[in-house]
Amino acid sequence: MTGATVDFFNSIPGKAQLLLRIPMAGTLRIDLVEGHRTEHWYVTFAPGQAQVSRDEQVADAILTVPTDLFDEFVTGRSRPNAAVLRNDATVSGDIRLFLALRRFFPAAPGVRDPREVAREKVAASRQTGHQRTTNPPSTGQHSTGAGRYSGGHQPNAVDDPVTGPGTREHTG
Amino acid sequence: MKPLVSILDGNTFVVSDRSGDIDPSPDFPTGFFSYDTRFLSTWQLTLDGERLHPLSVDDVQYFESRYFLVPGEPTHYLDAKVSVIRHRIIGGSFDEEVAVLNHSGEPAELTVRMEVGSDFADLFEIKNPQQKKGRTCAVVGENHLLLRYERQSFRREVNITTTEPGAIDEHGMTFRITIPPHGEWSTRLHLTTRVLGAGGRDFRDSLRMQRSRSKEEMEQELDQWLAQAPRLGSDCEPLSTAYRRSLIDLAALRYTSITHATQLVTAGLPWFMTLFGRDSMFTCLQALPFLPQMVPPTLRTLAGLQGTRIDDFRDEEPGKLLHELRYGESAGFEEQPHSPYFGSADSTPLFVILVDEYERWSGDSDLVRTLEWHVRAALDWIDSYGDLLGTGYIWYETRNPESGLENQCWKDSPDAISYADGRLPDFPRATCELQGYAYDAKIRGARLARTFWNDPAYADRLEREAAELKERFNRDFWVPDGEYYAIALDTDGRPVDTLSSNIGHLLWSGIVPPDRAAKVAAHLLGPKLFSGWGVRTLATDAGRYNPLGYHVGTVWPFDNSMIAWGLWRYGFRREAGIICQAMCDAARFFNGRLPEAFAGYDRSRTTYPVQYPTACSPQAWSAGTPLLLLRVLLGLEPQGEHLIINPAVPEGMGRIELLDIPGRWRRVDALGRSRPQQEADTEP
Repeated sequence: MTGATVDFFNSIPGKAQLLLRIPMAGTLRIDLVEGHRTEHWYVTFAPGQAQVSRDEQVADAILTVPTDLFDEFVTGRSRPNAAVLRNDATVSGDIRLFLALRRFFPAAPGVRDPREVAREKVAASRQTGHQRTTNPPSTGQHSTGAGRYSGGHQPNAVDDPVTGPGTREHTG
Repeated sequence: MKPLVSILDGNTFVVSDRSGDIDPSPDFPTGFFSYDTRFLSTWQLTLDGERLHPLSVDDVQYFESRYFLVPGEPTHYLDAKVSVIRHRIIGGSFDEEVAVLNHSGEPAELTVRMEVGSDFADLFEIKNPQQKKGRTCAVVGENHLLLRYERQSFRREVNITTTEPGAIDEHGMTFRITIPPHGEWSTRLHLTTRVLGAGGRDFRDSLRMQRSRSKEEMEQELDQWLAQAPRLGSDCEPLSTAYRRSLIDLAALRYTSITHATQLVTAGLPWFMTLFGRDSMFTCLQALPFLPQMVPPTLRTLAGLQGTRIDDFRDEEPGKLLHELRYGESAGFEEQPHSPYFGSADSTPLFVILVDEYERWSGDSDLVRTLEWHVRAALDWIDSYGDLLGTGYIWYETRNPESGLENQCWKDSPDAISYADGRLPDFPRATCELQGYAYDAKIRGARLARTFWNDPAYADRLEREAAELKERFNRDFWVPDGEYYAIALDTDGRPVDTLSSNIGHLLWSGIVPPDRAAKVAAHLLGPKLFSGWGVRTLATDAGRYNPLGYHVGTVWPFDNSMIAWGLWRYGFRREAGIICQAMCDAARFFNGRLPEAFAGYDRSRTTYPVQYPTACSPQAWSAGTPLLLLRVLLGLEPQGEHLIINPAVPEGMGRIELLDIPGRWRRVDALGRSRPQQEADTEP
């Protein structure tokens, strides 16, 4: 167990008032696994409150995580949802308690406020002049990006890449 | 492309050809899928080494189909001495009965072979084929074949068992059989999927989720679902057909969410069989008067996954509502950001709108109180992280240039937002309908704060902000020359001056002053936008207009339903009726199942709506469209404890009678008639 993990658990009760203003109750057991050793932590949630304990008790859900991966969660270097999807961490029981714990994990180190970033970018492009729009329609490639649009399966080609800062080219 | 047959049960579905076969297709989603993984990519039946030819396919139910097959290609003489019937059911697991019938007076000696294979592709690898990073293996058992994929701790398995003995190998099952004269042989193939979770068990068992259901259970569920919905009596046959089709399709698209073990609606087959914030909320808004039970699980699940921190890879911010949630390998290994992904700028205001609209119908004030902090966080997002440039508008720009979405509004294809001359504006972008939703969210948030949260000061503030936004918006987005609203603002605050269907959403939101509404309505029904089959996404004189362009010229039924709602809101009943009529006319050509989109060709050129080649179908918000249109035609609006019924049915549509409309009034009937005189009837 790392210092960051201990600090994380110690900080939970103080943050609950702010982060947990939702109707929610139950106990989550967190099993931190290192080799053959497992450390148990218990977090009991109630609206606006959370208590942390090491004393054995009945749990409504269990989160099992390798100790070093949990350290990545508490320092914002890894995200628990993705870890569960790839089965590096597992949840059993009432998954809402896991989602409640998720609220306490911090952002990645060095992450910037997106507003600051966007405003700086726009200010910078104003200084360098207006070259921010792109060409008239043409055939081209399509996005392979996330989400809704089913890129790659449109009969008509779509985009030409937008030029300008912060944008990208699409690869078909 | 060969015609395909799909059966589905929420996010578990099979897409095959008309013989029931699945041929390997690395870049197209045919196969057996569950939770975003393809568990079967090969499933080919042969008789004495020969593929089979379909005589007919019977789509019994959305979860059940039958294939009647004979050996030989269509050009050959059909050997009618033997035929094959495949009967397939999906209900969490996948079952197929293969029956071979001997029609001759002689015994038939045959070799039946099922070729089986899985590439375990993640849905995103099918959009963009690539080499698998894990290992696949096959385990041969006495009466089963197990296929397994492993990548580190990630494991997916599919197990195929047969009731009749056969020779099992790593690539399939062979049955050497002798069928007596006029006899029959059959085997039942049962497929179960495993997604490894806690303690080496399937994650659905670890999370106490329901697994497979029997055919009887599925039928019972569907009957119950249909019985709960209001009954429609109508002279307009296409409307009745579309209504029933919609109810069934919405039942089919439901799946069990991992996060809350409640039923949610997926967005569309085959690409979008998962939870989308925007799609699920629009579908709920459309279906509220008919299927209100869809709303609470959707709101609770979205609230449970509300953004909590800044995450550039996922475009997440505190208070933001998710865009898309996936369960596959690419989400787990962070090759895609869907765990969940937050790249939509409209889901957050839509969440506030849906909470309010749901309470107005249902009277479920408990849920409004339960969700208070989620709704407040959503309203805060609009003015904080949503307003990227600090100019009082919602802007978007992805912070994940690799796999994020460029356009984070409903028109999310890369070329959807353009100037009239075709140029694309820089990012961030502020599309017009986002500002409409923000306005509506503030107005509705104010009502919630005053009525349920005992916070009149907050309500006053929200209303003041809404009024300021409306004024600002009408100054900045109005294109005076054309007398319409620009599709967006660019980073200089100048209008992106294209005429688009987005202006219809502004009517729905109420951000349009009454003296401009008639202009907007005239554009929507004018020749540049209205094709005769519906309102196009983009005007015909726009630089990027293309009648087959995904968001730049096609007609989207969902879009049209929201536009009809907007027109009705401003009293343009005749115009709303024209759209309802056009959609009904179009639905006729799709057997009542409106697709995601169809082509934007002018109706004078085509006697039918031209199908968009890769449109998803069924699609949740297209299935929701006939429901919302019915609401518009009958003028259904909750007011206090009552339902106002104020029908305006277009000429020729005849009688529309909707019985047992659920809500805080319990059940109410509504009746509308196009001629000779419009009537309203209320029976509380």
